Amino acid sequence: MKDFILKRVVVIILPFLCVYGFYVILHGHVSPGGSFAGGIILGLSIIAYSTIFGIEKGKAKIPEKVLVWTESYGTLWYGLMGMVGIVKGFPFLANKLAGIDVGVPGALSSGGLISLIGIGVGIRVASTMVTLFFTMMEEEP
Amino acid sequence: MTDSFTANLPVYVIIAPLFVAIVLPTFARLKRLVQGLVLLVGVLGVAGTGYLAYMVLSKEGFPMIYSMGGWPAPWGIELVVGNLGAFFLLVVSGVSLPVALFSRDNLTVEVGGKERVARFYVFYLLLVGALSGMALTHDLFNVYVLVEVATLSCCALVSSRKHPRAAEAAFNYLILATLGSALVMGGIGFIYMITGHLNMGFASQEINRIWQHNPHVVWLAFSFMLVGFGVKSALFPLHIWLPDAHSTAPSPASAILSGLAVKGYMICLLKVLYNVFGHSLMQEFAVHRIMVLAGTIAILAGSISAMTQDDLKRRLAFSTVAQVGYIILGFGIVNTKGLAGTLFYLASHAVIKSLLFLSAGSIIAVTGKKKVSELAGIGRKMPITMATFTIASLSLIGIPLFSGFIGKWHLLVGSMEAGNFLPTAVIIIGSVLCAAYLLPVIRVAYFESAPQEDWKDPGFSQKLALIVLAAATVILGVVPGPFLELATRAATDLLMR
Repeated sequence: MKDFILKRVVVIILPFLCVYGFYVILHGHVSPGGSFAGGIILGLSIIAYSTIFGIEKGKAKIPEKVLVWTESYGTLWYGLMGMVGIVKGFPFLANKLAGIDVGVPGALSSGGLISLIGIGVGIRVASTMVTLFFTMMEEEP
Repeated sequence: MTDSFTANLPVYVIIAPLFVAIVLPTFARLKRLVQGLVLLVGVLGVAGTGYLAYMVLSKEGFPMIYSMGGWPAPWGIELVVGNLGAFFLLVVSGVSLPVALFSRDNLTVEVGGKERVARFYVFYLLLVGALSGMALTHDLFNVYVLVEVATLSCCALVSSRKHPRAAEAAFNYLILATLGSALVMGGIGFIYMITGHLNMGFASQEINRIWQHNPHVVWLAFSFMLVGFGVKSALFPLHIWLPDAHSTAPSPASAILSGLAVKGYMICLLKVLYNVFGHSLMQEFAVHRIMVLAGTIAILAGSISAMTQDDLKRRLAFSTVAQVGYIILGFGIVNTKGLAGTLFYLASHAVIKSLLFLSAGSIIAVTGKKKVSELAGIGRKMPITMATFTIASLSLIGIPLFSGFIGKWHLLVGSMEAGNFLPTAVIIIGSVLCAAYLLPVIRVAYFESAPQEDWKDPGFSQKLALIVLAAATVILGVVPGPFLELATRAATDLLMR
């Protein structure tokens, strides 16, 4: 796309989109939204960039190989966090029970493992959105 | 250490295939490593589920209840390793391992390219994980999630062959299965609406206490569940997606779809009907009669449609429709013998139908012939493949000494005890019809002269998989002992509520 205004606006809002995505992911356990919504916002930043500047440039920023890895290991991260409970001798996905410090309710550091899980989910969702977008753009004749 | 391992075994059985499925895409190019990992997961699964089944049979603190995250029942999600769970887990791991073994050599050709092999295994493992979860879960919403995971993996497995017809079949399946999921979700919603619980045990207590106040909601829940799971498990008028999907998929996928995936949905239906509503409520609403009637129609219609098919895999797919009828009919026979026979038949059909699909798949892969009428003389060219096909056919018909007979026999005795003669007659007629569509294949293969072609039995791992499954159906038929015991106990548990 050759539109000057669009390009400028996207360049300006991109950092804010990224920061806001991370904000929603990290605050998932204390505020509306969550790691899924945050991940989508994060993925949206890449989607916006590749819509305006062309799919090639988007793929140069984040190659599909990297997307495969973040998708797989983002999800595996969730499972590994679940295993923490088992390693400590408690059931799968145990959180406070397994002696994790869950802090004061309402504070940012209050989720225990939940906030860590959220980061994995956020990264996974972001890369899935981008993969979906790239795949659909490829199918265009 | 050992205690903690045993205590967490139910979770390991479910998450091991899921974990491996998640990381497979990152080393999709290393085909040997991918196949090795899949086989390893299969072997570990058989070992783990075998140990669980042994523990359940020897009654060491079972049924074992596992609360996810340490949250107790009405709030948290429960996994229950009871007799039914251990039984179905054993079926899942026992059938999925030979299928994985079979797919080792044959898959690259079937899915059309080396790079698509890893993708197949990702969905295969997701399906196995979801089915293991269905066996153990004791939470209604968890059932829905697992049903969705299994459905989407099935669609992907159907579409894994690079062919327009596979894509069309997968799309049809996707649309109908989504409709089924929506209905299941609706049914769960109705149950939650009147009971306020998603845990099966708590919902069951509550629903039996208050159903008189909301009979219409219970009716709706019943019918949504029946139709929803009916679409997914291909109960007769709702089966239209199955013949295309199961006959166009790659052979290992057809085997696991017909053998296991359909059974998973039926186990979910069984759990919802008996563990949530309970058999007294079922009889109150005459749901068991509906199931017997639906099963009867499915047996007759499925068998007759199977007879008219000349395409071998389509014939087997329609045969699945008929066998689903047997199992649904069995769920409607509310006594221990009938239910135990049904569960045993479900297990033996899982083994038999995957064996039939795998041997048909290797015949098609070697000869390139898909029609029954073109298979003249295959029995002499490919002795082992055709021998296993014959064993499976005889077992499906219900000849004594094979596993199909034990299941059908108990089903028959159960339906006679229930005093209902329609199912009794239909079970026998169904066997005759089954002989009518499977024996011609064997006759053509053995008693017609062979063409001068250089056809051979498939490679070692494929032969081994076929022989293992054939041995399983013979062993289950000759010494059904512990397995039948597990099924009987599961049936007793189901009828206790």
